[in-house]
Formats: sequence, C-alpha cells, structure tokens
Amino acid sequence: MRKTLTDKKPITAKTIFIMVAPFLSIGLLLFIWLLASNVNTELVPTPLMVFDRLLLIFKKPIGNMNIFGHIWASIKRVFIALFLSFSIGIPFGVMIGWNKTLNAIFGTLFELIRSIPPLAWLPIVIMWFGIEELPKVIIVFIGTFMCVVINTSTGIKLVQPLFLDVGRMFNANNRQLLLEVAVPSAMPAIFAGIRNATSGGWMVVLAAEMIGASAGMGFLIIRGMEFFDVPLIMMSMVVIGIIGAILSVITDYIERWACPWNKKLELD
Amino acid sequence: MLGFLLIWQSMVYFGYVSAKFLATPIQVFALLFEKFTSPNPDGAVIQVNILVSLSVALTGLISAIVVGVPLGLLMAWYKLIDRFVRPLFEIIRPIPPIAWIPLTIIWVGIGLGAKAMIIFFSAFVPCVINSYTGIKGTNQTLINVAKTFGAADFVSFLKVGVPSALPMVFAGIRIALGNAWGTLVAAELLAANAGLGYMISMGRQFGRPDLIILGMITIGVLGFALNYVFIKIENIAVRWRTV
Repeated sequence: MRKTLTDKKPITAKTIFIMVAPFLSIGLLLFIWLLASNVNTELVPTPLMVFDRLLLIFKKPIGNMNIFGHIWASIKRVFIALFLSFSIGIPFGVMIGWNKTLNAIFGTLFELIRSIPPLAWLPIVIMWFGIEELPKVIIVFIGTFMCVVINTSTGIKLVQPLFLDVGRMFNANNRQLLLEVAVPSAMPAIFAGIRNATSGGWMVVLAAEMIGASAGMGFLIIRGMEFFDVPLIMMSMVVIGIIGAILSVITDYIERWACPWNKKLELD
Repeated sequence: MLGFLLIWQSMVYFGYVSAKFLATPIQVFALLFEKFTSPNPDGAVIQVNILVSLSVALTGLISAIVVGVPLGLLMAWYKLIDRFVRPLFEIIRPIPPIAWIPLTIIWVGIGLGAKAMIIFFSAFVPCVINSYTGIKGTNQTLINVAKTFGAADFVSFLKVGVPSALPMVFAGIRIALGNAWGTLVAAELLAANAGLGYMISMGRQFGRPDLIILGMITIGVLGFALNYVFIKIENIAVRWRTV
C-alpha cells in the first residue's frame, strides 16, 4: 500500500479520487453524524457538544476528579495488573512450555480455566473481594495473565529444534539452552502476548469499572448512561479510544526496542 | 485435574473457605441438574439461558463475518476502497467493544439487537484485519500468472486472492469467535434479562456462589465447544492448507 504511491502515473480522475478519499470518508462520517444529531440531539449530540463536555469536566469535576484523574485511575489499575501478570505469567509460561511434567500437571488445568472468558470472573471476584481497588486489579490480572502465559508457552514450545541441537552441540546445559536459546527465540511470541495483554487489559478494566467503581473511564461512561448524558458517553469513548491507541503505540515501541530482530514488525 | 477438584471440594468442606463464598463441585453439579427444570432464581432454566446467549453471540458474529470479511478482502485488493474505508476503520478500531455498551443501551435498548451490535463490534475488527492481511500476503507470482492468462482484475481477485487469503480469514474468524464469546458475558452482565451472563450476575445478587460457578463453567464449556466445532469447519474449508 505504501510503495505504489511513488510510481509516476498520469493524473486521472481515479488518482485524484484516491488522494481525496480519506477526507471524503471522514467528511461523510461527520455529515451523517451532524444529520443524525439534527434529528434527535438528545440521542446523538453534535461533535461540538461532545467537545464542550470535555471542557466542562475540567470546570465541574465528577467525583472530585477531572478527566486526567479518571484516566489515571484506570491506567493505574491496568499497570499494576500488567506488572503482576508479566512477572508471574512469563516465568510460568516458560515453565510449562519447557518442562513436560509441569505442562502435564498445570497445562490441562490451565486450558480448562482459560476457556472461561475473563469477564465471566467479574461477579465471583466482586463477591469475594467487594468493589474496591483490589478486585479490579484481580480481574485485569486474570484477563492478561492467560494471554501472557499462552503466548509465552507456545513461543517456547515452537523453538526450532535445530537451534536447540546447535546449542547441545556446543555443550550447553539445560539452563543455558533455556535462557540463551529458547527464551530469546520466543521473544517475539512473548511480546505478542504482552501486546494482546495490554489492549485486552485496557478493555477488561473498563468492564470492571462499569460494574462498580467510583473512578475511572468505565465509571464515567456508565455514569453518562445513568444520567442520560450522551455527550459524556461519547467523550469517554473518544478518550478511551485515544488511550487505547497510545497504549498500543507504546507497546510497539518497546517491542521494537527489546527485540529488533523481529521481522514481522516491518510488515505492518 | 482430579487433584484440583479434590482440593476445591475439601477446602470448602472442611471450612477453610466459607461456603458463602465458594460452592463445592458437588453442589455445582447438583445445581446443574436442578437448573434443567427449575427457573429459580434468575427466571429461566439453563437451556433457555444457553439458547439466548448462543443466539445473541451468533447473530453478532455472523453479521460481523458477513460485513467484515468482504470488507477486509476488498480493502486489501482495491486501493480506492482502502483509502475510503480505512480512516473510518481506524477510528472505530481502538474503541473497545465494551465501551459501546452504554451507547447501544441508550440507542437500541437491551434487546437482542443491542447485544448483537456490541458483539458485532468485537468480532468485526479481527475479521477485517485478518482478511486484509490474508490478501496482502497473496503471492505476487500467482497474481501475475492469472494476469498473464488474461484474467480480469476482479476474476483474479476472486480466484487467486480470496482462496489464498482463506486460511488467514478463518484464523480471523476464530479470533472473532473468542472475542464475541468474551464480550457476550460483559454485554449480558450490564444489559439483559436472560442469558448466561445474566444468570451469573443474578447469582451474585442473590449470593449464590454455586450459580455463579455453574454459569462460569457453562460459558467456558460452550466457548470451548464452539471453538472446536469451528476448527472442524475450518479444516474442511481449507483442506489445502499446509501449515
């Protein structure tokens, strides 16, 4: 998609259309949006109203917090959970990917638990731990942990036997084989897990906050629903989308920095 | 596995964990049979709940496949469509499906349509992305061969591009299936009057851990079964696949 742009072609109606198409589609979206809001402003507020709602939240904070406070509340939960699931999940995944006995013991159990979607844990976690800070972190932890473990263990299992054989020929012991051959070659898979976990975690935290919370983006959006404040809902959705995009860009950069040999990244 | 069940059973049985918080496996099992006939306490027997959940998930999933897969395929083949649709897609993509829930509730209510719409959003993105990557990964030589034999652009799209993208498309649908099933629970927790997610949340409100765990297990088993069925279909549909 990138390379054809530089080819010299005669400028026809088609090439012009290709150039303006993105603006056209966004314009169309805005047009439909405005049209819809003309019909029913209660249900579909105009983009301007959504923006005004963002300004209003600075003047009149909800729950004593402006928008950054709520963003931070959500992000903090995600980060704590991600930190926990990386530090537990990656070693665990390496373990069940490497060791056949451990895989036999924990692997099947893990497979069983994995088929339960993380959000299905919400009610029971709320029942066990209430609706304070801890249960939300636990939910996000459950959601991200699975992802990290699966990717890590698959990455380790799929290490090319050739690499391991070479390692053995050089007299590497088991520990060296694991740390110096298997883990580096599983890095792309591990990072794929980290990336999925980050975006998944961002989604799960919203769900957890929607069920019961007093701060965070999920709380904002559900409050918008309860007060029939559609601009607030839309504003939150936009902010959530932006944060999600930023998170994925950050993980991409970390991945590029941590395993530059991963060619898949260049393919977009 | 058996050990896990034993530990679980004895933990509750001997009172290490209060029975208010955790039900024993035997209780859960007993409840399963009870739920076949008794609609208490959430107002529907388990078959109805399963049926409701399945119909919601499949409606959303199938509409996402019907819209998303052709869109992704066309986007990858025709630059014009790509340029036109991509900005819209990139705007929608980063918004998690769950964030659509309040808006859809206000717009469409809490019926089948609303939940199907949320599931649509969750399943739509992987369908498009994988179809797109699938076509992009088509071997250029194959396309050139088709061109040499005088195939029109659209014909080579249908006969070369699409088949070579199929394995990726199916992988995308499988991801979409997982997403759809996961989002279903969220949608039903927030907005429903029947369904497995609703059953779980009722279990919480009535303080019935056995009901919650039964719901969780049912969801897990069904998700697993759906995935299994789908892999079977996939194997039939893309028999030529080598990897």
